[in-house]
Amino acid sequence: MTALASIRGLTVGYRRDGNEVAALKDVRLDVEAGERLAIIGESGSGKSTLALAIAGLLPASAKITGRIDWTMPKSQTSRSFAPPSVLPDISPTRGEIGGFAAGSAPATLAAGESGHDSTISPQVGEMSGRTEGGAVERQLRHLRGGVPLLGRDIGFVFQDPSSSLDPVMPVGKQIAEVARAHLGLSWPQAFNKARILLERVRLPDPGLALRAFPHQLSGGQKQRVAIAAAIAAGPKLLIADEATSALDTIVQAEIVTLIRQLVAEDGMTLLFISHDIALAAELADRIAVFRHGSLVELGPTAQIVGAPAHPYTRALLDAHIGLDAEPLLTRSGLRA
Amino acid sequence: MSLLAVSNLTKRYRRGGKAVAAADDVSFHIDPGETLALAGPSGSGKSTIARLVLRLIEPDAGRIAFEGEDFMALGGAALRARRARLQMVFQDPLAAFNPRATVARVLDDPLRIHRIASRSERPRQIAALLERVGLTADLAPRAIHEISGGQRQRVAIARAIATKPSLIVLDEAVSALDVSVRGQILDLLLDLQRQERIAYLFISHDLGIVRAIAHRVILLDAGRIAEAGDARAVIDAPRSVIGKALVAAAPRLDRSRS
Repeated sequence: MTALASIRGLTVGYRRDGNEVAALKDVRLDVEAGERLAIIGESGSGKSTLALAIAGLLPASAKITGRIDWTMPKSQTSRSFAPPSVLPDISPTRGEIGGFAAGSAPATLAAGESGHDSTISPQVGEMSGRTEGGAVERQLRHLRGGVPLLGRDIGFVFQDPSSSLDPVMPVGKQIAEVARAHLGLSWPQAFNKARILLERVRLPDPGLALRAFPHQLSGGQKQRVAIAAAIAAGPKLLIADEATSALDTIVQAEIVTLIRQLVAEDGMTLLFISHDIALAAELADRIAVFRHGSLVELGPTAQIVGAPAHPYTRALLDAHIGLDAEPLLTRSGLRA
Repeated sequence: MSLLAVSNLTKRYRRGGKAVAAADDVSFHIDPGETLALAGPSGSGKSTIARLVLRLIEPDAGRIAFEGEDFMALGGAALRARRARLQMVFQDPLAAFNPRATVARVLDDPLRIHRIASRSERPRQIAALLERVGLTADLAPRAIHEISGGQRQRVAIARAIATKPSLIVLDEAVSALDVSVRGQILDLLLDLQRQERIAYLFISHDLGIVRAIAHRVILLDAGRIAEAGDARAVIDAPRSVIGKALVAAAPRLDRSRS
């Protein structure tokens, strides 16, 4: 298998109360093209930092060393971009990527390295209005020189669709904007594409949903919209960061099924970030276990679940309380 | 006699011009020292019922009897006094407490308000409460926002037991915790139940945890009781549509494969 992203020596630090806190420590990991890879960990494990680093979404204040090498076929899509639409600070604008050779040697990112100064603006479909434009832009300059573009090459689904969707824009327009910016479609074409995407994510009555505002949708429906926006430009990589954690069990299972299906249909690579090892095991081909910023174990799902090598992986598995777990009441003598 | 008896509880909200029943003719009881779980999907009425039982919101119809008293008839000082016996722990203690308050302050409030300990006795009581929930007394001067999520939830439990309650409503109280911490908090809750005979109304969307910790379960769907009974019996063989759907949706970890 070829690595879509090859992560080497990735270390990310944040400054907190004057101290440097290492969120990721010397991470080495290959994301294989076409695989479903789960990143598992508890709070403070660095799993979300890793997702943000891969997407180029780390805040400007983050201290990054190491590299992520990408092997990504050049997008088949037209890149004639429209000027910013209604909300200039959040709308996708011109995006040019330097040194992005089709199928040739992997393009390399080395954080802090200087290169030619192409202006890259955030192409963050589902993040409209919530990104600190400057932070992202600086971040992407860091990653310049052949890095995939968020929104076009990478789709990102966050935990809370209420904060990732623009509350005052109809959801159809939010999806259409991504398609228009990255696929060079006209507005009518983009809206048509949005309607098809809403069908694909199984929103009841897509025609009506196009004109709905986020607050008119349920949590599960909003997450479906966020997924539609994330895949609108046909990204190679879909990152779902705790994308089902705020949903109830039944909706979570539906969204997991939907993600599995969309990833298979579009041939996307999936990075599934979760605290729930059981949920991850249902979806992933491989599982990477993180703790305190370090990768502690990586392997095929069956091996991680059935024959974990690291004590921490075993502890995570033991802590899972499934439907077949021995009731705690029996253990503590509280059951008559 | 039941500790808590709820009869025909009904609460409707208006949403988009339509009346939606968040609780629709719900009746149940809890015995002393028992854990009753309320489980169901989002919007099934779990939290509404918890809030009705706590009288944080008022029902449109129905009765609540607590410790043999008509809980609905209480008001003012009588209700506040009774609240000492009926406590609550929510999902996010950071949202429940003033984040800048110290641990000592959070525990001092109930001791003072319910006149459980005099000013001079309170520091010792606070230390005893912290130790009771597996924390050390040196945590007392720390701010709520400084301590970890697991420590905060232990402080929330210490605050709840400070007034010697007979019933604690636990609304998704372990849902936001890391799995390694979650097990410890569940053990603490069981230990307190065994020692103090506290009953729990345990609200959760996680059937695995419900099956592990509850004696009985009520499965809710759109504000109505869909199914109720022994927690293991119901979850091992659900009969209702919602029960079957919840069980089918629970992630399974097959550790035998490799």
